[in-house]
Amino acid sequence: MTQAYHQLVKRLLDGELSLSDLPAELRAEGAEALRLLGTVDRTPVLLPVQLDARVMAEVRRRARSPLRRAWRRLVEPRDVELRLRVRPWVVWGGALAVAATVALLFAWPPASPGGARPVRMAARDSVFVRFVLYAPGAKRVAVAGTFNQWDQNAAPLVRLGAGGIWTITLALPQGQHQYAFVVDGERWVPDPAAPGIDDGFGRRNSVVAVTAHGARTL
Amino acid sequence: MGLREQATDGEVVQAVLAGDVEQYAVLVRRYRDRYARFAARMLGSLDAAEDAVQDALVRAFDQLAQCREPDKFAGWLFLILRNRCFAERRRQTREGRGLEATDEAVAGPDRPDGNVEQVERTRALEQALVKLTPEQREVFVLKHVEGLAYEEIAAMTGATVASLKMRMHRAYDRLRELLKEHS
Amino acid sequence: MKHAALALVIASSGALRLAAQQPDVAARLNGRVRAEVVPAVAGVAASAASRGLPVEPLIQKAIEGGAKGRPAQQVIAAVRALADQLGAASGALRSGGFDHPDADLVEGGAYALGAGLSVRQVQQLARASRPPYEPALTLRVAGTLAALGVPPKNSLDLVEALIDAGRSPSDLLDLPSEVQAGVARGATPAQAAEGLARGAAHAPGSGPPGGVPPGQAKGRGNPHKP
Repeated sequence: MTQAYHQLVKRLLDGELSLSDLPAELRAEGAEALRLLGTVDRTPVLLPVQLDARVMAEVRRRARSPLRRAWRRLVEPRDVELRLRVRPWVVWGGALAVAATVALLFAWPPASPGGARPVRMAARDSVFVRFVLYAPGAKRVAVAGTFNQWDQNAAPLVRLGAGGIWTITLALPQGQHQYAFVVDGERWVPDPAAPGIDDGFGRRNSVVAVTAHGARTL
Repeated sequence: MGLREQATDGEVVQAVLAGDVEQYAVLVRRYRDRYARFAARMLGSLDAAEDAVQDALVRAFDQLAQCREPDKFAGWLFLILRNRCFAERRRQTREGRGLEATDEAVAGPDRPDGNVEQVERTRALEQALVKLTPEQREVFVLKHVEGLAYEEIAAMTGATVASLKMRMHRAYDRLRELLKEHS
Repeated sequence: MKHAALALVIASSGALRLAAQQPDVAARLNGRVRAEVVPAVAGVAASAASRGLPVEPLIQKAIEGGAKGRPAQQVIAAVRALADQLGAASGALRSGGFDHPDADLVEGGAYALGAGLSVRQVQQLARASRPPYEPALTLRVAGTLAALGVPPKNSLDLVEALIDAGRSPSDLLDLPSEVQAGVARGATPAQAAEGLARGAAHAPGSGPPGGVPPGQAKGRGNPHKP
């Protein structure tokens, strides 16, 4: 029966003590124990690259299933209180989050026939797109654009908790859209980090393009 | 692609929940290898680790709506993977199979083979590790392979530091015994 | 006699076709813009339609001006300017070898012009965009890059660099967010674009990222590290 390690040697292995902390008579045992630990293989393990594709294939399959559509109605983000950490960068980069959650460019069919099939999230060829604006002093925020005839009453944002973050998720048809936020019914504010173009009226509109693919898989 | 490396886990999770399923690939890519080593050591083989990680990532997607703190996706994924590893072990026990540390669990990519003796000792330790109880193996792997502190392990697994230390100390003794038998 | 009858038939069917295409501008605008805007925009729209230009963007621009509460003259001027842009885009595309550019393509060209590309640059990019590269897509990518602050010449160079390197069309779609990522790391849009253009020949992920030249990183550090 092998003898158990001395308690102090165990603490050595735990990293609480160093070898020189051990009484002389225990140092040999301590050194032996450390040698054991030294043989631990810490080489990082890299999994095969196909794993990503397999996971995403399964994920897409589940996203399309009718069960999942029912599930999604239960978790419509509009009414759920989302807890976002407000970091300082949100102040100027609020739309990095927007641009981040907003899908990318446009609705052109993939050039290669092997491209991913569109994921239908909302009715027919629309994709959910989330808009976020950091506007702590605002009383009302809406988003208006080509997707809702620039009607500032069509898409009011919801304020999240006590912070200054306003948000809404819309189902947008594929294609390129222009939009801006309307603060307190009168100030038209472009999205801080989305691309902006001249609106022809001396201000800027923000641009978002919605693609069938959503984001790219890498 | 909408999200690049700058997006936090929380943002990616929100995007996926809002319907942008393709964003989940960001999380897959971020975490596919982080827990691969843990899974490999827990299960004793690369193949089993691959299955477990793949499974865990898909399950995490399924249950994404229940991830109460989206910014803590990593820890939540770890728990799913951990449960999966324990379940795998239970299944193998039921089937009467012991875990065998296969060669591949020991070999890493381009691992410089030190001297033959060192390699041999590493293999011996791997063989011994799979003979520990899953709880003992887990705390050993998390502390001495993944390099986490007891407090971090406690936070991840929900165990107390005291109970983790107890398991670990038993693991040390058992390993010593197993390695003495081996040599 | 026969010729005259034939000519009449052709002329009237042409008129019918035009009328059928012409959306009811007044119906779309009534109640959304000031009264004097409606006939003016209807006139611009009719003229645009007769030149084969898309009318929908003009209606949208008028509605936008109304929603933003802009003065009537400003709305009319903006609609006229957009019609000119559509016309310029159409012309650029035709001389770029596209005999019958469709509405989508013309709007893409107009978008690029509106974002700051020149007619010549639109022409150049359209010419470079042969299958599998759709010019409607490449023009919008270039326009969006310019809208992010990348100088038009750099935008053009970047898109062409990817085309020349044989990168997939879907890689083009990633360019705007890659530029944004570079900017978030402290590069100017031009620098980010240049970095990406240099890396264009590499496979995705293996080339150098659109990066910050030494000594110019923002002091804030990267709070987005996962």
